[in-house]
Amino acid sequence: MLLMFFQEAGRVSTALESVKHPDLSKFLVISAILFIIGIAGVLTRRNLLVIFMSIELILNAANLNFIAFSRYLQDTGRGDALAGQVFTVFIIVVAAAEAAIGLGIVIALYRNRETIWVDDIDLMKW
Amino acid sequence: MILSGWESVFFWVFSIAAILAGLLTVMARNAVHSALFLISSLVSVAALFVLLGAEFIAGVQILVYVGGVMVLFLFVIMLVNVGAEEEGRAPIFNRPAQVSVSLVFVALLAGVLVMYAIPKGYGALKERDKISAQQVSSARESQQRSLPPGATGVSRVTKETERVGNKLYTFASLPFEIASVLLLVAIIGSVMLARTLKQEIASDDVDPEVLKPASMSTATESKEAVG
Repeated sequence: MLLMFFQEAGRVSTALESVKHPDLSKFLVISAILFIIGIAGVLTRRNLLVIFMSIELILNAANLNFIAFSRYLQDTGRGDALAGQVFTVFIIVVAAAEAAIGLGIVIALYRNRETIWVDDIDLMKW
Repeated sequence: MILSGWESVFFWVFSIAAILAGLLTVMARNAVHSALFLISSLVSVAALFVLLGAEFIAGVQILVYVGGVMVLFLFVIMLVNVGAEEEGRAPIFNRPAQVSVSLVFVALLAGVLVMYAIPKGYGALKERDKISAQQVSSARESQQRSLPPGATGVSRVTKETERVGNKLYTFASLPFEIASVLLLVAIIGSVMLARTLKQEIASDDVDPEVLKPASMSTATESKEAVG
């Protein structure tokens, strides 16, 4: 009984320690949560613009992951530390291009169909 | 990488802010609110980038995402205003059955990632690298001390941006060129998509033979509208 209490106390103190000193895994968890919020937004929302914003959220979660691993590699010295940052620059470039094209499509769609709800856009369905 | 002291406080503040703002982005009824919450989420993630020592990426994130992409989003939201969703006449989420199935999928993904994949993978990584907090912080301290001090003497001037730029033009020079072509294609594509038929007819860079059927159809349309 006492032993169990001490084990439990030890587990709580290590948890507290990891809260006080967040490491790589905390960053990975935060980025996974952001990614999952983005996926949920893409799957459940009806508004095309909000779906685009959720995609931005997903890309941003990937960026956070890249940067966290970049810092980890910098600290351990095992591998190329700056490759993650370079990848993040390219992801931001692709996200900007995707947003420009996607919003152009939204404008063209709204001009022709007067709607941006994804379940009303069924031109290519049969 | 192990944060400590005020760094960990800021880590928790900004990560919780990013997650809350992300949730509100997905759940807000008004698309403008959604965009503003996404901006605050992006700024919080930029703060996490600063904590991770990637100041250049944080600056690019704020300049490109918040200053460029989100302003574009706000413009488009205001061009295509959808009243029904905002006023509560239409549901913001899709049909209940599909929504519940996708939420089950997402919960499964979240559970496996957060409970199993990340702890196991990180445990194996720690086992492989065997770094201690003291080692990392002392290495970082000595690295900091080697940097020149800033003008106020309080902080140090990092060479991070210079190193990222070097890397971008040596290791990643071919992808850099490809990215420039991608941006050019995106500019031309979005201009073409946003142009109306009337604007295309008005500009004289299109073959008149190609435009003949199109202009005739618009003429009949306008006649119908008049009649």
